[in-house]
Amino acid sequence: MSDIFAEAPAQSTKPTIFYDGTSSRRRQVTLAFGDALEIAEEGAAPVRWAYADIRRADSPPGILRLACTTAPPLARLEIRDAALAADVTARCLRLDEHRTSRRGVAKIVGWSVAAAVSIVCVVMFGVPLAADRLAPLVPKPVERRIGDAAEVQMKTIFGRNGCEDPAGKAAFTKLVNRLRDAAGLDDDSMTAGVLPTPVPNAFALPGGKVYVLKGLLDKADSPDELAGILSHELGHLKHYDNMRGLIYNGGTSFLIGLLFGDVTGSSAVIFASRSLVEASYSREAETAADTFAIEIMHKLGRSPKPAAELMFRITGKEGGSTLTTILASHPLTEDRLARMTREDRPASGPPLLTDKEWQSLKLICGSGKV
Amino acid sequence: MNDMQWTPIGSEPIPPPLPPACVDFSGNRSEFRKMVTKGAMLELVTFGFYRFWLVTDIRRHLWALTAIDGDAAEYTGRAKELLVGFLFALAILMPIYLAYFLIGIEFERWQGFASTPLFIGFYAFGQFAIFRARRYRLTRTVWRGVRFWMDGSGWAYSFRAMAWGLLVFLTLGLALPWREAALERYKMQHSHYGDLRGDFEGDGWTFFKRAWWLWLLSPIALFIFPLAPFFYAEFKARQWRWWLDGIRIGDVSLSSNLPHDAFYGLYWKVIGWWLLLSTAFGFYIGGATMLAVKLGGVPAEEMFTPGNTSKSIPILVMMVIGYFAVALAVNIIMRIYLQRDLWAKVLETVEVHNIGAAADVRGGGQIASALGEGFADGLDVAGF
Repeated sequence: MSDIFAEAPAQSTKPTIFYDGTSSRRRQVTLAFGDALEIAEEGAAPVRWAYADIRRADSPPGILRLACTTAPPLARLEIRDAALAADVTARCLRLDEHRTSRRGVAKIVGWSVAAAVSIVCVVMFGVPLAADRLAPLVPKPVERRIGDAAEVQMKTIFGRNGCEDPAGKAAFTKLVNRLRDAAGLDDDSMTAGVLPTPVPNAFALPGGKVYVLKGLLDKADSPDELAGILSHELGHLKHYDNMRGLIYNGGTSFLIGLLFGDVTGSSAVIFASRSLVEASYSREAETAADTFAIEIMHKLGRSPKPAAELMFRITGKEGGSTLTTILASHPLTEDRLARMTREDRPASGPPLLTDKEWQSLKLICGSGKV
Repeated sequence: MNDMQWTPIGSEPIPPPLPPACVDFSGNRSEFRKMVTKGAMLELVTFGFYRFWLVTDIRRHLWALTAIDGDAAEYTGRAKELLVGFLFALAILMPIYLAYFLIGIEFERWQGFASTPLFIGFYAFGQFAIFRARRYRLTRTVWRGVRFWMDGSGWAYSFRAMAWGLLVFLTLGLALPWREAALERYKMQHSHYGDLRGDFEGDGWTFFKRAWWLWLLSPIALFIFPLAPFFYAEFKARQWRWWLDGIRIGDVSLSSNLPHDAFYGLYWKVIGWWLLLSTAFGFYIGGATMLAVKLGGVPAEEMFTPGNTSKSIPILVMMVIGYFAVALAVNIIMRIYLQRDLWAKVLETVEVHNIGAAADVRGGGQIASALGEGFADGLDVAGF
């Protein structure tokens, strides 16, 4: 047995090893080049691999490792002798056929770019369109349920019970009803309230809920100021902005996540590109709500300017850097003020609330501090 | 010597215990650097889609250049499998996200922020993904013509991980060694090499004894920030060594003499590079702004006012380019130091005992799909 190796010292120092793919036994073999590659182990029938079926497998430098497409998938032949390896390589013409070639890489790049372009197009044109078309079709009960959930959340943050002073409530209802009629919102389930928190803000929730926070009420000097803000929020309701935003945000974050390979969207790139895209969409919605507010105020014969002045008193001048401008979800307050000032007209209609009603509205959360 | 041992067929007296076999990693560092640099660039132009190919190339490189007892391993996974797995995972995750959203709304109606615990569901999913991703990688690992494989259930693993996670949470992290031991035992006992079954003999107590003082000292790192990398490196080295010492496959066992300070250099190099890149990025942005001011003739303070948007666009473009360049460089650095160098550093300390037990193992086991890797990718969890 051992004298065969004695005659071929080159093979014994750099052995050729064969694994048959069913066992991890290291089989020392000799190769013969017939019309197929013959792999012969002492005392066993030779295994024949057709040259055309032989493929290269990953290996460290100095070892040629071969697999065969018609053999068991894990069968491996390891040739350590350089001259023998060169002999085998010369005979196997399809050795590297399965590898990723330069063309393969180009194909990957091409398809990825195509996928990215189509995703970007969908984010820019498809999703806004879908949001605009779908939002009005969302059944009212579904919208209301989402609104209920948001309402509970808001109340957890801003105080559980709305402000309920009867005289103030009556004045608030009167104001809201006048605006609602002017806005042509025939949603009888619409609710509005004041929440006792010093944060100066107002928001609209899905399902026709409008909330004014007490901080805003405290800073407001006239019914017109408050009315302008309220009609802006009614504009959001009228345009289904909540549902549109929901569909839009869900859609874009999913698609951008798809692009960068992270569905939850937690990495920085995704966060950054999402905020850019979504802020621009929300700025459009805010501008549209402003337009709506201007229309309503004109219809009621009042000026939209006081509302912008109230906003300006709260936020101050906002513009500072490009980054905040691009990332801002609302248009800059100074731009809104400028716009509403252009739309300023002398009052032609009756005041929205009497002085007395306005005073009681200011006290809707009680006279004490929050 | 090996020839003597393997050639005889049939019954033979058991050979005397051999000296432990070594694990050699013969990877060329500059070759790896070239591979990840090219890969990172392709990742950039393909918006990240190339990651499947790059990850596969990295694994093929690391596996093929790692020789155990003189025979190199092989990674037989392919990028297309990962891509398909990712797409399948997306198809499954999409309705789950929708359901999460709808159930969340119902919870929120009932009580504000009541849906927050639902997020735990995603954590459980992440644990499932970690198990299945390991199964994928293991079934693509071939040594001497026989593959590793894994059975067991991803959900059973996830349940264990969650229960132990709760315990770790309740004990402020003290139970972590026991969690690691229990989870690794589950994973290893369901791992196989051909007809050899794996096991994990590391126990929580040993790990605890090696690392408890790090747990005590860790609050200090919150105040003295530069200590944190030392602590983390120390912890990781102790964890690796404990893990390797515990691994058994049939009668084959591993041991490692990884020094406790083995990773100090690696982590500090990464931090150093990161600082360097951040500084360079800062200078770049400063320079770009100055250039724009000079060319545009608009003072720096007015550059960013709304009226000058058209003038500030070039700066934005330059910022974005700079950001991508930094992201690319960080990507390359992380892969070189924390994958390749860590791999090399750990492997050079590993010894394999009684490798003869794996001399004639019958192959078996089914290959697993890449769905787990897809989930891990989609949920952004990393596990091992």
